[in-house]
Amino acid sequence: MDSFMLLLEGFSTALQPIYLLYALGGVFVGTAVGVLPGIGPAMTVALLMPITYALDPAAALIVFAGIYYGGMYGGSTTSILLNTPGESSSIVTALEGNKMAKAGRGAAALATAAIGSFIAGTIATVLLSFLAPVIAELAVGLGPVDYVALMVVAFLTVGALLGASVLRGLASLGLGLFIGLIGIDDSTAQQRFTFDNPTLVDGVDMVLVAVGLFALGEALYVASKLRHGPVEVIPVSKGKNAWLSKEDWKRSWKPWLRGTFIGFPIGTVPAGGADVSTFLSYAAERKLAKGANKAQFGKGAIEGVAGPEAANNAAAAGVLVPLLTLGIPTTATAAMMLTAFQRYQIQPGPLLFENQGALVWTLIASLYVGNLMLLVLNLPLVGLWVKILQIPRPYLYAGILVFAALGAFSVNFAATDVGILLVVGILGYFMRRYGYPVAPMVVAMILGPMFEVQLRRSLQLSQNDPTALFSSPFAVVVYAAMALIFVASWWLRRRQAALEAVTVKDEVSV
Amino acid sequence: MSASATTSAKRPIGEILFALVFVSVGAAGLLTAGSIPIPPSETGIGPRAFPYIVCGLLVIVGTGIVVQVLRGKVGQAEEGEDLDVTAKTDWVALAKLVGFVILHIFLIEPAGWPVAAAVLFSGAAWSLEAKPLWRAILISVVLALVLQYLFGGLLGISLPPGPLLEGVPFFHG
Repeated sequence: MDSFMLLLEGFSTALQPIYLLYALGGVFVGTAVGVLPGIGPAMTVALLMPITYALDPAAALIVFAGIYYGGMYGGSTTSILLNTPGESSSIVTALEGNKMAKAGRGAAALATAAIGSFIAGTIATVLLSFLAPVIAELAVGLGPVDYVALMVVAFLTVGALLGASVLRGLASLGLGLFIGLIGIDDSTAQQRFTFDNPTLVDGVDMVLVAVGLFALGEALYVASKLRHGPVEVIPVSKGKNAWLSKEDWKRSWKPWLRGTFIGFPIGTVPAGGADVSTFLSYAAERKLAKGANKAQFGKGAIEGVAGPEAANNAAAAGVLVPLLTLGIPTTATAAMMLTAFQRYQIQPGPLLFENQGALVWTLIASLYVGNLMLLVLNLPLVGLWVKILQIPRPYLYAGILVFAALGAFSVNFAATDVGILLVVGILGYFMRRYGYPVAPMVVAMILGPMFEVQLRRSLQLSQNDPTALFSSPFAVVVYAAMALIFVASWWLRRRQAALEAVTVKDEVSV
Repeated sequence: MSASATTSAKRPIGEILFALVFVSVGAAGLLTAGSIPIPPSETGIGPRAFPYIVCGLLVIVGTGIVVQVLRGKVGQAEEGEDLDVTAKTDWVALAKLVGFVILHIFLIEPAGWPVAAAVLFSGAAWSLEAKPLWRAILISVVLALVLQYLFGGLLGISLPPGPLLEGVPFFHG
């Protein structure tokens, strides 16, 4: 119950009027930017980082909590209302949500997504509040060997499992690790790969790489194949029939809960975050649906929106568990959050709850607040989100370029940083063009230096005996779990391929 | 997926070149990692080991991709909401955008951030065929001034206002 008191203390900070205002601002801006097509949650956090530079740590974390959830939710609005598929974590939502919108049930789809996100987010945040302190306590006892094991799992799942091509994922991972090496070695203070260039001595800033890959790279890629002409947004019908009917509620509440309990565990283990959980939830709902409801799958089944949306948000909260307690980011968005924390000298990890307890609990409390605000804010503002969706594309991408340049420049107030941004952006363009996932690069860049420190420490303790890496029972369990995850993912991939084949067949037959 | 089929005849050359970028970064790293100084007090694996591992990985994985592409397994280009996957790559628009970012970089110091930002925005909008042009320019000026006021004035981020706006107090914090 100790953590309960601390949580209440967190609330007492987060509920101060000025912080409530920050939370509202964060949620609003996060959703507005997240709604923009092509902008995923990671890019939202990266692009909005400059906003928080001038805030105190508590306010900044509150704004980030809002941006994190808001960006996540904004994506689902996009995939329901736009005629084309959205970012990866909400593509599954698009399968059914888009069909619902076309059938004039857009408002119901948005509502089940919003309420599902709220319920899942709230339950998952409760789980986070109770689980995180426990795990942090356990994690204090972990040695360098255990961290090496955890990070190997994070690397391999992010790099090899999540993309369409294992080799391209690993290439992206390797490049991220390489960029992470540039600068001064933490352990010996020697320069590595700096080529005596003064800008490289401090290393390449994470913000430059993230904004370059996500914002500039994406803008260049879209620009190269821009769909010209007016933007087609599916109109949201108003009126009594459009809102959730009794039947809709009945069909939604179970998928919400199932999605939550699928999403949260998947988010907490470094096994893929949001994408995997939404797919699993969709597959589960499709399987569990009966009769006429089952026949609706592929034509706008509300379960297919409710479940994955809940899973997505629950996973987003789950991802915060390893991030806060172990300091290990398992998604690109988490890597961005970690970067934001580090700017405020906040080092996530087992000691975070001891050293900066007040801040962490304020952050967790603001997750509850942000979630509630999203629910209140989102549905009434649908009209505004639709307007945002309709921004003419030349202005939209020009604006993204300006914001990216602003973000890069404000890291050190050096125009050369914008040059680095451009180089990374061009790299990001080609990575998209040739099917390389960018997320592994971002995660590797931030995890790589931490991994090296732990690896060298473990080997130093064992007088360079590599078998020591398997000496702790915890590490052995982690490696065994990793083997299991790989087998499971191989099986899932086959399932996913089968499901996609079925969906395509459905579309053809319609 | 249909895009990769239609353009695959032309694609592998660029794709192989890009995979070779990974190989050459790795190779360059392997060649230079040997010159990282090792302090005499070092008893562990030292500052060179991890660079060797990472660069080795890049060389191996990059080579693997080249082999895959040569065997006909090309990458799957990313899809997106605003993308016309069947369209040909618009290299002219890309070159214009990159050019305007470079121009922006060189304008920040001498002309100030708002001018540089307005040039970047209107240039990018023009490259993406925004019509009419005067509206893009108007938006760019308003946007640049609002951002300068918000970030430079209100949030206290030191964006250089430039000679034009130097005398206006609310543009810097």
